[in-house]
Formats: sequence, C-alpha cells, structure tokens
Amino acid sequence: MSKPAPKTYLAPGHRGCAGCCDALAAKFMLMGTGPNTIVVNPTGCLEVMTTPFPESAWKVPWIHSLFENGGAVASGVEAALKALGRKEGIKVIGVGGDGSTMDIGIRSLSGAFERGHDITYVCVDNEAYMNTGIQRSSGTPFDASTTTSPPGKISFGNPRPKKNMPAIMVAHGSPYVATTSIGYPRDMIKKVKKATEIEGPAYIHAHAPCPTGWGFDGSKTIEMAKLAVETCLWPMYEMENGELTQVKKVKNPKPVEEYLRAQKRFKHLFTMDGGDEEIKKIQATADWNIEFYGLQ
Amino acid sequence: MATQLVKGNSAIIIGALYAGCDCFFGYPITPASEILHDASKYFPKIGRKFVQAESEEAAINMVFGGASAGHRVMTSSSGPGISLMQEGVSYLAGAELPCVLVDIMRAGPGLGNIGPEQGDYNQVVKGGGHGNYRNIVLAPNSVQEMCDMTMKAFELAFKYRNPAVVLADGVLGQMIESLEFPTEATVPEINTSWAVNGTAETRPNLITSIFLDFTELEQFNEKLQAKYAEIEKSEIDYEEYLTEDASVVLVSYGISSRICRSAVDLARQEGIKVGLFRPKTLFPFPAAELKALADKGCSFISVEMSNGQMIDDVRLAINCSRPVELVNRMGGNLITLDQVMDKIRKLAGEA
Repeated sequence: MSKPAPKTYLAPGHRGCAGCCDALAAKFMLMGTGPNTIVVNPTGCLEVMTTPFPESAWKVPWIHSLFENGGAVASGVEAALKALGRKEGIKVIGVGGDGSTMDIGIRSLSGAFERGHDITYVCVDNEAYMNTGIQRSSGTPFDASTTTSPPGKISFGNPRPKKNMPAIMVAHGSPYVATTSIGYPRDMIKKVKKATEIEGPAYIHAHAPCPTGWGFDGSKTIEMAKLAVETCLWPMYEMENGELTQVKKVKNPKPVEEYLRAQKRFKHLFTMDGGDEEIKKIQATADWNIEFYGLQ
Repeated sequence: MATQLVKGNSAIIIGALYAGCDCFFGYPITPASEILHDASKYFPKIGRKFVQAESEEAAINMVFGGASAGHRVMTSSSGPGISLMQEGVSYLAGAELPCVLVDIMRAGPGLGNIGPEQGDYNQVVKGGGHGNYRNIVLAPNSVQEMCDMTMKAFELAFKYRNPAVVLADGVLGQMIESLEFPTEATVPEINTSWAVNGTAETRPNLITSIFLDFTELEQFNEKLQAKYAEIEKSEIDYEEYLTEDASVVLVSYGISSRICRSAVDLARQEGIKVGLFRPKTLFPFPAAELKALADKGCSFISVEMSNGQMIDDVRLAINCSRPVELVNRMGGNLITLDQVMDKIRKLAGEA
C-alpha cells in the first residue's frame, strides 16, 4: 500500500552518532528536493560529520563557509545562477542548525528572506549547540539542562522559552513557512518538496531530537521526535502567505511528563524540589499550543 | 595555599574571579568552551554576571557595553570567533576601554580544525582590526600562567585603558596541570571618572571612537601611540633559559616553548650550547633583550606553530643582524623534539 521512498542523496558512512538526528533530517530533506539541488550548509554537526576532508556524504553540490552566513551564501548562489540564466529547475537549499539559523545566523537569513531570494531554508533544530559541547541556544526549551544552563540552586536550567523562529520567518512575508519533525519523514519530505516548488524564500523548521545532547538512547530518536508532537510541545503546521493553512491534529495529547521523563536534560525536574511546578509550566506551553494552533 | 589539578581553560576563570572580573560575555567554540562553561557555573553563584551571547560579535559588543560602564569584563574564544570580534576590538581600543580577551588558538585558516596552532599571532599581536591600535598581549605556557596572566591582563587593561589579550593555544586550554591558587583576590574599584554607568557624576562622560575632525583624530592617534610606547617601556616580560653562553637561541612562546626547553637540555647533553628566550609579553615585544643576545653573536631559531609569524618580530628586533631560522608545524600538529633537534644539530654542524 505504501509507495517506495523517494531516492535520497546523502550517502551512508558519514560520521554521525548512532541515531543522529541531523543525518535523518538531511536524508529526508534531499528526498524532498531531488538531485538538482545546491546545498549551502553553515557550520555545525551536520557540516562536520558529513564532510571530514577529503570525504563527503553529499551526492549533490555542497558549500560550507562560515557559521553566521548561510542565508547570505545561499543568496549569492541564487543570484549568480539567475545572472547566468541557469536558475531554472535548480533548487538552492540552505540547511543549518538552531545556532546557525536562530542565533548567529539570523541576520543573514533575515536579509535573504527580506530580499526575497528564491531559496528554501531548512532549520534542523536539535535545541542546543551540539557541535561545541551542548551549550544552550535560543532554540533550547524552557528548563532544559545544557552546559551553559546548568540547573542548581538558582535555576531549573534554561530560564527562557524557545524562540518562535517560524513566526519570525512568517513576519518576513515568506510565502511558505512550515514546521515538521524528523519523526514524520513523509511530512518532512512533502513539505520540503512543496517549499522548493514555491517561488520565493521558503522556510522549514524541523524538530530533531539529538541522542547525545538530550541524553536518550540512539535507538529512540524517532520515538522522541514523535513524543514531542504527541505531547503538543512541537506543533506541526503550514503557513502560506501568513495564513495558517494546515495543522497536524493530535487527538489524545499525552502529558508532557512522558516526553520530559525520557530525557536526561530534564531529569532534574523529577529530582529537584519544585520540579512539579516547573513541569506544570511546560504543560501550560503544550496547552497553549493546542489552543493557539488548534491541534485538537 | 591551595593547589589543585586544573584544566588550562578552567584556570582562566579562576584567574578572572580572583582578578575581580564582574561580567563574562561569551559564545561557545572548541577548544575554548570550558572557559564559558566554568563562567556559567561560577559567576552567578557569587553574584557576578554571565551572559551567553548569540554570536562572538554580540559577545565583544557586550564587552564594549560592560567596559563602558567601568566594569571588569571579559570574553573568550578561538581563531574564527576572534576574527569575528575584530571590529569590536578596534572600537574598544579606539574608545580606550579596558577589557580582557582570551584566545585559545586553533588551526586555521577558515574553519580549519580544533587542533592547536599559533596562527593568530599576527591578528592578535599586530592589531587585527582596522586602525592604528595595539592590544596588550600576554602569552602563558602553563596552566599556572593561564591563571596568573589572566589576573595580570586585568591589571594592565585598567592601567592603560586598553584591551589586553591572553594568547594561548588548544593544548594549554585543554591540558591539566597543578595550579597554585592566587593568595589574594583583587578588590576592584569602579572608576567613574571616565565611565558611563548611570550615575549623576558620569552623566557628562562620553564613550566613543569617532573624531570627525582629521587633525583631532590624528592627535588622538598620537596619544594612543604615546600610550603604546609607554607600555613598551614598562611592561615587557620574558624568560631566559641558559642563554648566557648560547651559540643558538630558540625563541618561542606558549606551548612550543615547553618543547624548546627540552631541546635546550638535550642539546646541552650533546655539547651544543643552546638557550631559550621566551617572550611572556608579545606586545610589548622584548626587542632590546633579543638585540642584546644578537650582539653577542648567537644565531636564532623561531619555534612556532604557524607559518612563521613571530619570526618577523624576532628579525626586526635584531635588525636582521644574525640569521633567524624557522622550525614550525601547522594544521593542528605539535612541534616535535626531533624537529627542533634536527635544526639545532644542522646549525651546530655549520658553525
């Protein structure tokens, strides 16, 4: 009954950890884009583990430059292709992590989207800087423990909520902004394909659980990704020209506790005094998502 | 006195805390990240501020803000991050703001890799950003000096209202040695005579680096040069090891100098009179001291993990009056004892 999976263009044998979320994300992304793709990949785990010189796992043209400039390099590639009259049928894809997208790279990404380059940008969000040793990013969720947001006497971990990056990209007037998750390959492939077929700057935000950084077994990456969606902590939706056009419904949302308990980065919420209250705050975020995006 | 086994990067934060550093602003990068980790762990506990920035550019400009308010502030990074900070460093020097930067050098150019190198010498010692400015640059070669020189950097930064850099490398950052803790902590005074920190008396103060009038800017530049000349006169620091009778003097800083020390000992066992000259300050560079050695007729080997950057300063220091050879490695590789010895034996054979 199911159709065969589309061909991908990421070779096995890269150096990702067992159960690596970035490898899965890149694989699904390329299933959506097809072979006529130029990939721009700022610094991060994905870049490091797929391209230890002189090897490469990418079967499509691939460019790495700095950490903060994915949007700018993608803009340059797109503009050059247009100048050469060769843009037709070629997809320019930026793919970066939460750091290179939401923190250090947001300025160049904002520039690319504001100017309206015909690119698709995929954020593979594993919610911390895994490449440099699990420091917090603006994608790190509330109360998660990282090396720079350790829980202790004065905090329960990361004191800030996750930045709503898709909303920022919607505010740029992007024709297509979608959230997805590596736990739902078909959804991700479909959305990436759609994004590349739409003229103008499109943005995909893919939730990507990292076994190493979050502290769970490498065999559970997909399970963890699904739990985030099933607990409504990660809503999956599409927004076209600023309008919410599609939402993945969650019939019987699971309590967030189920998701939190499975990860070492939230372990302290179950051992520290006052942890219960913190879990309630996180449940309130899920409840807000249900209400705001109409997940039920 | 407490002695503990400590990682080089951790020793930086211990030094910073003893030096009365108020605020740490930083962004992670290997092999410097432990400085940030330790700052996040210890600063808030004792009422000091730790802020993780969204980029190195943000971190250095937070330093600009904190320093403007007269506080003792610092940041740390490695090559690529230091490159990104250069605009801010030029502005800090231009606004005459005291601050401490730590560069745990890694291999470049570009992303390079996370192995140790000393390839940031030019960008840190020569200025790096635009304009006629200098950083005060201290070069530790042990975990102890990582701590001590961080304290010294704060002292010099405030004495001269100038950025001071602790220039170390990936090995020094990552290695563990015993550290004797400082005996006394500095009790910082916030100087409000030039700072802007939201009080009535600092309201007329102005922190800027813009001078629209060409002559005024020239005069300001001359004032900066006079300050650098004063630093060159007063703050030079170096270590000499068996240079007195040496026919060959190794010039080396940081982790490379540790290997050179072994080479000196080994060469002397072989009957070759070798010494080591280790600059502990790279700006100011101990030029006169090297010239004095050159005048005695020795030859030099600059030993550095770069394409040969400090060697230019050695040649300038001695007015090219004696031969200066280079022993180097790049790409994240350490210099080996054999490599240094081969060059020493070659020079001894020629003599």
